[in-house]
Amino acid sequence: MAINLKPVDVAVVGLGAAGGVAVLPLTRAGLKVAALEAGSWMKPSDFKADEVHNNVRRMVTTGRKGWNEVPTFRTGPDQPTRRFTIPPMMNAVGGTSIHWDGNSWRFHPWDFKVRTETIRRYGAGALPAGSTVEDWPLTYQDLEPFYDTIEYEVGVSGKAGNVQGKIDHDGNIFEGPRQRDYPMPPIRGSEFIDMMVSAGRKAGMHPHRGPAAINSRPYGGRSACVYHGFCDTGGCHVSAKNSTMVTTIPAAVKTGNLTIFERSQVTRILSDDNGKITGVQYIRDGKEYFQPAKAVLLGSYTYENVRLLLLSKSKAFPKGLANNHGQVGKHYIAHWSGRETVALFPKDLNIWYGALAQNVVVNDWADDSFDHTGLGFIGGASLTVNHEVHPIAAGAGPTFNRAPQWGSKFKSYIKENAGRWLGCYAQVNSLPYENTYLDLDPEVKDPLGDPVCRITSGPKVNEPRASLHASNKAAEWLKAAGAIEVNVNAGPAEGPNLSVHGVGGTRMGNDPALSVVDKYGFAHEAPNLGIVSGSVMGTHGARNPTETLQALSWRTAEHLVKNWKSIAG
Amino acid sequence: MKMETPMKHRPTRKTKETAELAGVSEPITRRDMIGGVTLAGVALTSSLIPVSEIKAAPQAAVVTAKSASAFLPEQRRILEAFIDRIIPRDENGPGALDAGAADYIDRAFVEFLGAEKDSFAQGIAAVDAFARTAQGGPFAELSPEKRDAVLTAIDGGQANQLRAFFNRARRLTLEGMFCDPHWGGNKNFAGWDLIQYPGVRLLVTPDDQKMSVPVKPVHRSAYDTGDQNHGH
Repeated sequence: MAINLKPVDVAVVGLGAAGGVAVLPLTRAGLKVAALEAGSWMKPSDFKADEVHNNVRRMVTTGRKGWNEVPTFRTGPDQPTRRFTIPPMMNAVGGTSIHWDGNSWRFHPWDFKVRTETIRRYGAGALPAGSTVEDWPLTYQDLEPFYDTIEYEVGVSGKAGNVQGKIDHDGNIFEGPRQRDYPMPPIRGSEFIDMMVSAGRKAGMHPHRGPAAINSRPYGGRSACVYHGFCDTGGCHVSAKNSTMVTTIPAAVKTGNLTIFERSQVTRILSDDNGKITGVQYIRDGKEYFQPAKAVLLGSYTYENVRLLLLSKSKAFPKGLANNHGQVGKHYIAHWSGRETVALFPKDLNIWYGALAQNVVVNDWADDSFDHTGLGFIGGASLTVNHEVHPIAAGAGPTFNRAPQWGSKFKSYIKENAGRWLGCYAQVNSLPYENTYLDLDPEVKDPLGDPVCRITSGPKVNEPRASLHASNKAAEWLKAAGAIEVNVNAGPAEGPNLSVHGVGGTRMGNDPALSVVDKYGFAHEAPNLGIVSGSVMGTHGARNPTETLQALSWRTAEHLVKNWKSIAG
Repeated sequence: MKMETPMKHRPTRKTKETAELAGVSEPITRRDMIGGVTLAGVALTSSLIPVSEIKAAPQAAVVTAKSASAFLPEQRRILEAFIDRIIPRDENGPGALDAGAADYIDRAFVEFLGAEKDSFAQGIAAVDAFARTAQGGPFAELSPEKRDAVLTAIDGGQANQLRAFFNRARRLTLEGMFCDPHWGGNKNFAGWDLIQYPGVRLLVTPDDQKMSVPVKPVHRSAYDTGDQNHGH
């Protein structure tokens, strides 16, 4: 029997990149919030300058929830199901914003209206076959104020390329107009960065410094980055990386209105016979609790959001919560991205230290920023070269057919070249498809006996073409920088599946037959349930999703505050 | 305001929880090999396992004694003879064996890779069986040249049943060569010196990030700061 707790105004499920942002506008407005987080608090001394700890064994986490629930995967209904061996996310107060790489981007205005813009410019036939893409129910302009809020509340370093229509070539000239520049200048440059900027310009491109949620100077009472080179999948020992653990969550705690329940795994979201959400059930230290709430914000990761909804069946929702239209799990998008272009240079690059977000980005071949007529695809990819390479990854790198993979010749090769190669990261505009969705695995269960999430991800044509097109441009960029070997890989045939950029599954839209939540993030079928997560996204941009999902989360929380009586009354 | 006391929940090497938590096989994906971002949008194809094996895979054996070897003495000898040829001792300095890669691998199977141990041990036995057939003797007793012939045959596709073991053993050898010495490998910083990795610095200056000026190597483990707190 669950132990009944005192009712609160809002229960927030998951205190990561999204839930960790949403609690701030709620608590500032005076709402009493209970946050249920499966992990626990971490502290700067938990974080190590160690590739094995961070990258090889992924030890930056608390508790075992993520490991217990790793999704299964198949490429189609008739294909064998397999399972990944590592979880995409970590559990802690602050969630995966603790060990993310800090690349903090806005999506492009095109991402919000791919459907109408493609039909307008290229005709309906240009939409990829099998895609279920719809325009988002909001535009870039609608979200712009919330991007601005996140950049200043969390802290983002960067250089604007378009302030209210005024173009600055030191920034991203392709970005949507913004009301003002970033609160901090870009994080530190280097000779490598100078080399890649100048090579990009020589090749006729528009390279610029990427935005980073990392302090380039002291900000928010925390220090500037020390560039020690263990940012990727590691926590920041000087709190210069702007996770919600050190930004919005402590600010919400200060209001006095936030209670954080650590080690609390939500197992069901409960609803009454009228379909109204009544609260959440969770397990903490082996005991089961019921937390009544007037509204619930679901803020776990994409896979867990879908799983929790499908598991939360009731009289009003026999197919799972908010799933009477069968849309939960549909329109899932695993971001098509990878280091498809690798290059060898004739000199040491010295990119060991720094951060992944200490980078140079080319956006010329992304979104709809170039004419796609006759190319056979829409969208494209951003291209990134960056600092932060660790010794195991460097030694295990490609050998460009210049040496075997073992023995004295291999050893001699890596002695000279382990510090002379890089991979250029291509992130593709990615769309939802009929053949790609999430549901519950019929066989594999977690230790509580609940099924894990199953990914079905079928083959695509548009995204690999867009990726290859951009990666060939990356090859031109790298050759202009002096690379003596450049290899372009075609990318995986079956496409990405499990992803740290997995979005969709509880898509936003105006039509309940095609989406789970409305344009403010509240379930069509259960209006006092909001979803704050990348799972509400209808497309994935050609850049990292975190800042966009944080802007959406803030907007959802603010909408709840402003409409408290109609939503939760 | 009500907030719970932050609770130290970081796994340490000796706990049972750690062994379970980390009981996964490190995937050898193409992107792991070619870049820093390892999971963003990545198809983790080579880390996939059939659902029929799921019960075993994500769980590791419970650590019983820190000093225990994961392998029988004969298995360990074969493993050492194998990784000795992946990165041999030669004119470019110490090899993987000198650097303690065998110790790293052994400890990894005790502490983290328990679920993978049986299949890895089977791979060791299969290498030995192949060596007896192809080179006429137990692998660990063959000359370096004959052991190289065995690796050449596997790498050349003449023993496809050994391919997965070869890839896994190679990857673990590189981990043992280039890891922080804390984990038992990279003894005397032999691996980092080989590839001129300049070492762990907790504060990196603009000069430390220059291409034009060589960076002086630092020989220090991330765990050698006394309080194990990253120096802060």
